Amino acid sequence: MISLSDIPARPAAWITLPMIVLATVLLATPWLLPAVGLYQYLGIEIAIWIIFALGFNLLFGYTGLHSFGHGAYLGIGAYAFGLFQHNIAVSLWGGLLAAVLAAGVAGALVGAFLSHRRGIYYALLTIGFGQIFWFLAMKLHRVTGGEDGLLGIPRPPLTLGPWQVALTDNLALFYFAAVLLMLVAVLGWRLANSPFGRVLQAIRQNETRARFVGYEVWRFKWAVFTLSAMLAGLAGSLLAMAQQSAYPDVMSLHQSGLVVMMVLVGGGLVSFWGPVLGVVFYFVARDVLGGLTETWLLWYGLIFMAMVMLRPEGLAGMLHGLSRRRPPLPTAATAPATEAV
Amino acid sequence: MIDLLPHIINGLTLGLLFALIALGFTLIVGVMEVINLAHGSLFALGAYFALTVIGGGWFSGTPFGAWWLSLPPGLRYVLALAIGPALAGLCGMLLELCLRPTYGKPPLYGLLLTFGAALVVEELIRLVWGTGEQNLALPQAINSAFLLNGMIFSTYRFFAAGFSIVAIAAVWLFLERTSTGAVIKAGAHDSEMVRALGYDLAKLRLLVFGFGAALAGLAGVVMVPIWGLRPHVGVDIVIPAFLIIVIGGVGSFWGAVIAALLVGLAMGITGAYAAAWATMSMYLLLIAVLGFRSRGLLGRKSALEN
Repeated sequence: MISLSDIPARPAAWITLPMIVLATVLLATPWLLPAVGLYQYLGIEIAIWIIFALGFNLLFGYTGLHSFGHGAYLGIGAYAFGLFQHNIAVSLWGGLLAAVLAAGVAGALVGAFLSHRRGIYYALLTIGFGQIFWFLAMKLHRVTGGEDGLLGIPRPPLTLGPWQVALTDNLALFYFAAVLLMLVAVLGWRLANSPFGRVLQAIRQNETRARFVGYEVWRFKWAVFTLSAMLAGLAGSLLAMAQQSAYPDVMSLHQSGLVVMMVLVGGGLVSFWGPVLGVVFYFVARDVLGGLTETWLLWYGLIFMAMVMLRPEGLAGMLHGLSRRRPPLPTAATAPATEAV
Repeated sequence: MIDLLPHIINGLTLGLLFALIALGFTLIVGVMEVINLAHGSLFALGAYFALTVIGGGWFSGTPFGAWWLSLPPGLRYVLALAIGPALAGLCGMLLELCLRPTYGKPPLYGLLLTFGAALVVEELIRLVWGTGEQNLALPQAINSAFLLNGMIFSTYRFFAAGFSIVAIAAVWLFLERTSTGAVIKAGAHDSEMVRALGYDLAKLRLLVFGFGAALAGLAGVVMVPIWGLRPHVGVDIVIPAFLIIVIGGVGSFWGAVIAALLVGLAMGITGAYAAAWATMSMYLLLIAVLGFRSRGLLGRKSALEN
């Protein structure tokens, strides 16, 4: 089995082939989706979950810290965006900032508590904290609307200097989400391949050794937890815009488990881009299997179990295995493709 | 001033019920170092199997079903109490077979696999038994109420609490006083040595998992009349079970029992003042305990921390 650490360190380019592929696919998505009989809104959902999953994988795949309560920060982002629109001002940038900051503050507080824990205790505490946030969202009726959720969240227009673009249309919102997604992907890639990213991987491989080498391990664990919570908050604000509402639902253990499943099925343990595959696979499975059978989640669950048992390196690992077994081709074009994984 | 006594009594009985739920969980964690997130699903399965046994299931409508339903409800309940856990135990063994590829890997894989299993079982329950809320038909003898000190208490609650005391004592005696129990505990500490002494570790693990799953199923049959039976009851129940294990210290038998009583008391007393926030008290208890003792009340260092 390969792991992230088997992939040789290389100078991180700003733009790599997978990024170009991702950007091209995103550009084409509004045409691709109807062509295969799917609907535009799905594109927004996928873009949101990719942002969430990429941020989550910095914690899960790169640092080896297993959070089972990350839906909480997605939810906090969504609520913060909605509350900002309702109570302060109808502003896109203000709402995004509020969402990222709120999720970041929550993540920083929880991260401070978690960062001295290891292994299973870490995972268990993330469940505990995730449940607390979920519970608060359900019970603080006056702020969050309880089980009914926060309704009527507007989609404020995008203003850049003199330009103003309405995001009321799903197509416009999709492109906005796609631009944010590309930003997250490029910056995340740079970060993962920076010295900071190397320390994260060292922590995953052997936390004790990383500490003895001289790194203040808990600071790194805290920083990456906070960062992944902020990205979850960003995804949450987009979710609030997409649904024009925010529900406690995304904060439940079930939904927090979903992102773990997506990242693992995609191959987040071995690849930066794995989560992208995992998210796409999940939504395609939901819509294609869901069209065939009411019990699609049963089949998805079985696929997931089989993956954990037989192929924990996920889709990305399987692609990587295929590309390595293939004899090297003389053309240069295939070389960056392996770099993708 | 609220009279706290009934709330404390309620809290203690609730704690005993939690202890019964956590019992199989702690056994599996202690012996196999697998955090079984599907524990709640096995709990639900035990209860659903019992539902089928008591109600006649697929035979209701056939002559056999008619004969079955003519049996006294007490007898059918006792049979359900045996068959439900036994079938849940078999499902647990099936799960253990699925878990085998994850042994020797980080404990995350066991956690992930059982999470997937929980999802699958919940969907299966929806498929087989439907999505609506159902309930077990209880025999009259244990399904009534009595007055104590001017307060009304449900007989069934006390029956269930007494039942869990008996079950906890039986499991403890089994682990401490029988040779199989000794081997199981040895397997938890030093699996290599147990294998070297000629015990079949694979079979031992299968049995422990089956036994733990049967305990989960037993808890399901006993508990569900109080909590109601719906497809996601497993997820609702696995969370307290699992907080209790962590508060008590992963792998510690008495830690789990003490933590269960503490959680029950905390919920009972919070319930006296702010019923809607009772659930919150167990999370706060978790944070308070882990803030001071990072391995829980009676926890020791284990491989799960790596």
